[in-house]
Amino acid sequence: MNAIRIATLPLLALLATAAQAAPVKIAVLETLSGPQASTGQAYRAAVRYAVDKLNASGGWNGQPVQLLEYDNQGGPAGASDKLKAAAADGVQIVVQGGSSAIGGQITEDVRKHNLRNPGKEIVYINVGAEALELTGEKCNFHHFRFAGNAQVRTKALVQAMKQVQALGSKVYAINQNYSWGQDMERAIVDNAGPGGYQVVEKTLHDVNKIQDFAPYVAKISASGADTVITGNWSNDLLLMMKASKAAGLKVRFGTVYLDQVGNIANAGEQAVGHFVVQAFNPEAAGAEGERFVADYKAKSGHPPVATEPQTVFGLEMVADALKRTKPVNDALDVNALARNLETAKLKTPMGEASMRAADHQVLLPLVVSVVAKDAKYKADDTALGFKPVKVFTAEEAAVPAQAACKMQRPG
Amino acid sequence: METLVFSLLNGTVYGLLLFMVSAGLTLVFGMMGVLNFAHASFYMLGAYFAYTLQGLMGFGPAVVAATLLSGAVGVVVERWFLRRVHHHGHAHELLLTFGLSFIIAEAIKLFFGNHPVDYRVPAALDFAAFSLGRQQYPAYRVLMAAVALAMFAALWLLLTRTRIGIVVRAAIHKPRMAQALGHNVQLVFMGVFGVGAALAGLAGAIAGAFYTTNPNMALEVGVMVFVVVVVGGLGSLGGAMAASLLIGVVTSLAVGVDRSLADALALVGAGGWAQDVGGLLTLKLSSLAATLPFALMLLILLVRPGGLMGEKA
Repeated sequence: MNAIRIATLPLLALLATAAQAAPVKIAVLETLSGPQASTGQAYRAAVRYAVDKLNASGGWNGQPVQLLEYDNQGGPAGASDKLKAAAADGVQIVVQGGSSAIGGQITEDVRKHNLRNPGKEIVYINVGAEALELTGEKCNFHHFRFAGNAQVRTKALVQAMKQVQALGSKVYAINQNYSWGQDMERAIVDNAGPGGYQVVEKTLHDVNKIQDFAPYVAKISASGADTVITGNWSNDLLLMMKASKAAGLKVRFGTVYLDQVGNIANAGEQAVGHFVVQAFNPEAAGAEGERFVADYKAKSGHPPVATEPQTVFGLEMVADALKRTKPVNDALDVNALARNLETAKLKTPMGEASMRAADHQVLLPLVVSVVAKDAKYKADDTALGFKPVKVFTAEEAAVPAQAACKMQRPG
Repeated sequence: METLVFSLLNGTVYGLLLFMVSAGLTLVFGMMGVLNFAHASFYMLGAYFAYTLQGLMGFGPAVVAATLLSGAVGVVVERWFLRRVHHHGHAHELLLTFGLSFIIAEAIKLFFGNHPVDYRVPAALDFAAFSLGRQQYPAYRVLMAAVALAMFAALWLLLTRTRIGIVVRAAIHKPRMAQALGHNVQLVFMGVFGVGAALAGLAGAIAGAFYTTNPNMALEVGVMVFVVVVVGGLGSLGGAMAASLLIGVVTSLAVGVDRSLADALALVGAGGWAQDVGGLLTLKLSSLAATLPFALMLLILLVRPGGLMGEKA
């Protein structure tokens, strides 16, 4: 009798572990190696912070959420491979933001995966791929964007610059020749009416291939522009600003990515007076912002800059939706989670943010800032920082959902 | 008019910079037959050396020190790495330099981080040389051009007018015969490799301050340098100069041309049709500026595989 009892013990133990459901797996599918690694690592730091916070508050279904990391190696092909690996590992939530080209691949792959594997859906949390098509013709039920896009960014930028009379009447649009840059160019043209300016010239150039921007600066100079609006990032932004300064050009830059790490350190004084539209500026966010910066710095070792705050806010909205999703057979029903994501709301340090169900575009408060010496928070350990010029609530910043998006919800 | 002048000037200066980096590569290839994949890494090393040292000794001495240090690294690479795999053939040398370029890039990331560093043109050199119309021309660009021209002249004189030059050229052309005549060919190889690396380092130290110094700079310039060497003819210094200038000027001028094939077709009355077709026909030349060098390389490989001034392959 005793022997039987002892023999059943391991079996009971086995049953006990079986009853304990597998934890929910979140995957970061970012560029973690190669030339663009710094972008991916920033997203990863923000996701780690947010997931740790979720787990500190109890995780989901009584268990900590598990975070897995996959390196997409900087391209859509790598992302596609790693997404398959993630699916095989049982990942249900995929997070990525590094590039619109990669984002386009992931959203298509996720859509197909979900069609072929009903009951094993994956949801794609897009924290930074800002191409319009992702919430337009490519929109799908399992994609959610927690970042801005060219239209909202440009609208805010133009309004704020106009208000402080930094816009002028002649605007030069220079952008990178791919989905994001083309969206920016269209947005700059679309905002000409409300902004009261004329687009004197538009330029699209190769992405991250150009060392010498002097020829482009000559072109900007010849156009007689007062302001250059650009969606350029990384080297394409830095080199252009430096070249225009070197040529003694008196133009102001309106940018989206001037706050990337290292930009201010590298450009120095040359960046003063240029504008950037951000999702978060601690000076504009007051005490709440200060608390967020201190907490993030304590946990990640650096303050939240550039795309990190929007990623944290996005993941916090995911956490909120998770809390409202009841387990089915001790597992996460991704479709139920997606439905809850459609109604997700969050009080961020910048104000109220919410998800728009029609196209799965987040409505996020934005702030337009100018590089100045008297900014409260300094960037890159320099004497300069981003001084807020105007804060837009989520409603003020929003632009209507694109008609091209035909959202199909599962039965 | 002034736009054209500026475009030509910009193109020439950028071309001269490309020459500074590619001179060493083409020399090393001409001599050792090694296509040195790590060459652009010396360019990057030069920039980081100068960045690190400028706080200690000021900009000018830092550039000189960076040049020497890059050269020293080049000597070490040749003496203790390349020479060991030399007898295995060119494929091994190629792979070795390929691996080396990764190791250097990762080491830089380890020490200096993933982001661009704060290496800038010193205030004393940050002024306008002259201005035309609304635009100023930065003095630093003039300085870059001067350094490149001085380097070209020095190399040219060294190779054609001195005894060392004769030995080097002999070692390049007929290494066994030069050795039989009692010259230390190994030493010549090491010297040329070191000089090639030093020149790339000098280019990096100077250009790094004007453009950006980041862990990707080797990658950014590396591809273009190979294009220069192929277009100019492998091993030809004059060819590298011609190709650099050609590429610099072509890209610079192309930026100013907002015309597409559709505009050309409009001259023969097919403009409307071309606009309807779209795609390649409506692509503006200016948006292709950075891609043109590759088209040029393709063209050269098709009609003149040896390059502009290369020997017949």
